[in-house]
Amino acid sequence: MSARRLTRRNLLLGSAALAPLLAGRAHAFGEKNRFIPAVAKHGGRWDSRLSGLRRIAWELQRRTSVEVVPDARPFALSSPDLFEYPFLYFGGDGGFPPLNDAEVANLRRYLTYGGFMLADANDGSDGDGFDASFRREMARVLPQSPLAEVPSGHVVFKSFFLLDAAPGRLLNKPQMMAANLGKRAAVLYTQNDVAGAWSRNESGDYEFDVSPGGEPQRELAVRLGINVCMYALCLDYKDDAVHLQLILNKRR
Amino acid sequence: MNSPTFNAWKLVSLSPLPSWALVFLALGLLLGVALAAWGVRREPSRGRRVLLWALRVGAGVAALFFLLEPGIRHLQVARMKNRVAVLVDRSASMGFPSEPGGPTRAAEVATFLEKASPALAGLQDRFTVEMYGFDPELAPITPASLAKEPPRAGSTDLLAALRAAAGAGQGARKLSGVLLFSDGADNTELKAGVVGRARAALADLGVPVSTFTVGQEALKDLAIEGLKVDDFAFVRNSLTVEAEIHGRGFRGKEIPVVLSQEGKTVASKTVRLETNDDVKPVSFTFTPDQTGRFVYTVTVPTFPDEAVTDNNSRSFTLKVIRDRVRVLLVVGRPSWDERYLRGLLKQDANVDLISFYILRTLSDDPGVVNERELSLIPFPMEEIFDTKLDTFDVVIFQNFGHADPSLSIAEYERNLERYIHNGGAFVMIGGDSVLGEGRATMPTLMEALPVAAAGPANVEPFTARLTPEGLRHPVTAIGSGASSTEAAWGELPPIPGANLTYARPGATVLLEHPHLTANGKNAPLVAVWDYGRGRALVMATDASWYWAFAAHRDGSPNRAYDRFWGNALRWLVRDPDLTTLKVTADPPSVEPGRPVAVVVQARSADYQPAQDAQVRVELFSVATQKPVAVQTGATGPDGVVRLEFAPPDPGPYKLLATAKKGETDLGKGEDAVAVRAVGPELSDASVRPELMEQIAKVTGGKAYKLPQDGLPDMPLLDPPVVEVGRAKDQPLWDRWYYLVALIGLLGAEWFARRRFGYV
Repeated sequence: MSARRLTRRNLLLGSAALAPLLAGRAHAFGEKNRFIPAVAKHGGRWDSRLSGLRRIAWELQRRTSVEVVPDARPFALSSPDLFEYPFLYFGGDGGFPPLNDAEVANLRRYLTYGGFMLADANDGSDGDGFDASFRREMARVLPQSPLAEVPSGHVVFKSFFLLDAAPGRLLNKPQMMAANLGKRAAVLYTQNDVAGAWSRNESGDYEFDVSPGGEPQRELAVRLGINVCMYALCLDYKDDAVHLQLILNKRR
Repeated sequence: MNSPTFNAWKLVSLSPLPSWALVFLALGLLLGVALAAWGVRREPSRGRRVLLWALRVGAGVAALFFLLEPGIRHLQVARMKNRVAVLVDRSASMGFPSEPGGPTRAAEVATFLEKASPALAGLQDRFTVEMYGFDPELAPITPASLAKEPPRAGSTDLLAALRAAAGAGQGARKLSGVLLFSDGADNTELKAGVVGRARAALADLGVPVSTFTVGQEALKDLAIEGLKVDDFAFVRNSLTVEAEIHGRGFRGKEIPVVLSQEGKTVASKTVRLETNDDVKPVSFTFTPDQTGRFVYTVTVPTFPDEAVTDNNSRSFTLKVIRDRVRVLLVVGRPSWDERYLRGLLKQDANVDLISFYILRTLSDDPGVVNERELSLIPFPMEEIFDTKLDTFDVVIFQNFGHADPSLSIAEYERNLERYIHNGGAFVMIGGDSVLGEGRATMPTLMEALPVAAAGPANVEPFTARLTPEGLRHPVTAIGSGASSTEAAWGELPPIPGANLTYARPGATVLLEHPHLTANGKNAPLVAVWDYGRGRALVMATDASWYWAFAAHRDGSPNRAYDRFWGNALRWLVRDPDLTTLKVTADPPSVEPGRPVAVVVQARSADYQPAQDAQVRVELFSVATQKPVAVQTGATGPDGVVRLEFAPPDPGPYKLLATAKKGETDLGKGEDAVAVRAVGPELSDASVRPELMEQIAKVTGGKAYKLPQDGLPDMPLLDPPVVEVGRAKDQPLWDRWYYLVALIGLLGAEWFARRRFGYV
């Protein structure tokens, strides 16, 4: 996970790329209606991928018609202000202490009434660390909706890009997990540190190497991020009948 | 020795002993006989043995005679006089001729009964003959009244008439038989024949029914029978109407059958009748393209020599409703506003959602070398804005406005404007690409909207304010009453930003910005109007999703967003429950000769019941395209009035209603009603002798056909015999010679035994 070297060239390119976005914000109509990821604050290391979230918002703006604010706004899980940000990122590096009851209740309400949460094990853990803590808390937040593997035909794999797997900085688990409320996946959970693949440092370099697939895998992780954001925004739009045949043909 | 008052006798036992004692003594006698037989079993002479047995048996019988003390009981008895019911069918089909050019079936029965009067009178010594007509209620008749009064009943119910005749004798004189005169054209319980429960019911009558079938089967007639169609259908969904064409005397003929909707031919078919009495099914499949109630008619041609011509067409009303509201959602780009509206529309079982989102514009770079890596499809503008535009009930533009030639709808704006004008429904939801924002102005489409752009958007958060009109309008009525609605809107969170617009003349502003103004008035947030025959709604913000999601921040569930959009869709598609004037034919199909009734419910602009509204309803004949009658009335406290028209001629009609309260026009509404040419009774002129034969067979009667020369010899139950006076017993056993015989037999046996050496 070595950081890339900051060069003047990368710094200039990164700044140039962000310029149109910042210009757009100045004239935005109802900024809060734009895509802005919220970040869940908890008792562990929750803030190690903020640059990755800003980056995926930027990628969303660049690659799709979605209007974003390339920012990541942290909130306590008990905060009512969460209800102005329907996309919530819940990441962490290592375990974290149990959420208090107010946080559990607020998060449950957030998810029940239409909020979406992307959970990401930044430590790539499986059975310990962030993974153990997150599963413990999910059992409290949505006890009726246990995490289950996302099938390969799920709309999240075709909401913008056509994908087959869910790689991140790592590829521990090829598929994500989901907690469903009705037909809607209210929570998507990856143990591959997907935001780690998006993260850039202040000079614009990627912060972490991606393994085992290198840069092609990073591109897939970015595409997965965009698909997840598109799923949060469009739900099952790409499952509509008008898309099915065309997508089937493209997948052949 | 019998008293002259006694007219019957019977043999009885006069013994004072109880029955058990008599049985015991009789067994003793039998034992005595058996012992005697046993005692002489070794007697070598067969003659002596038989003599001794015979003497003992004779003595036993004589002893039994004395035990039972037989006697003769003289009785005075009488015979009951039971009833015989003559039942004559008074249904309308008895008015058909009994043969081509002949008298009516009813007249033929009258003639026969007149002729059979002496024979019926001859039954009077044993029976009381009662004569009834049934329709199906029993009413006394005479042959003269039969000939004079035409039969009119709208149905034939033979079983009900038989039950009524049998029941009439309960507790009084019983029924010994029924003479049933009918054409057998039962259209109620015995319609399917003498089967199942009907058969059991006939058998349970316990009385022979002799049937007299009147009418010939060889009448020439073409009839539409067995019409099968649902009470309602879904618009733009195919529907099948099934009918049976019953032809008698049309062997080998091709018969054209036409289905028409209020004079306009919908479909036609030809059926070929193979035999002289043939029933051919015919079905029409068609697709209604408008909602409402319509009168449809199935017709076959009328031939000059037909027995009945009224049954050559048959009308029915069909209510065409929406199956689901077909909504086209076109989204300028994915957003939270789109996400929550989609979530709502997708979970609504009454909505069929077709959506197209612009996920990528020309300026976006998805970073792929091959388009096959993307799940995107081309935006089918021509298909949705031209070819299939009219198939949508509601079109929603959500922040959809692009100036790029590949995404601009400039070419289809006029289509959309016409779509609304011609009865479509349109919703424009604001954002940074429409209503004065962005580069796409869409001037032609904007003509059809209730607001116009007034300047740059305001992005300050604000709480929407309900206007006085919005307080009572069905779109914004999210509470159970005005105060509840006001409170519900007041509880909703502020929303971040609105497009600046002003209301066009004629628009109704339901929600407005509390302080942002345009043209000196508060800027509309939600405005509606009727444009041509269609309706349009503008929501001048892309943040109504705050009512769906942010409204839950404080913990309590809030369904204001769902209710608002649900109301909006219902209002846009003119849900009948949301019209100000509701017109309902009551009932929608009227039997011949019955009045046409209509119920009108009037509501004022605020959707409250309009009391004392002046309602005018015109009965408009679809066949002649002329008004037939007009009725007026005033509504009651519930805003409802029921009006009735005198029975009109058969055919399809429209009920066109208007209402006013003072000078205020409360709108107009319409419904359809079909006045049938013939009821079920006259739709079929056929005679059913087989049914009459089955009735006779099941009940133990006989079946006859008119004409008959006289009253035949019918099976009738004999009246029962009952004791009506005194009884007198005359003993038989107390004679001296019976005692001598007993002693003689016993003495003879004793003498014989002694003689043969047994004593």
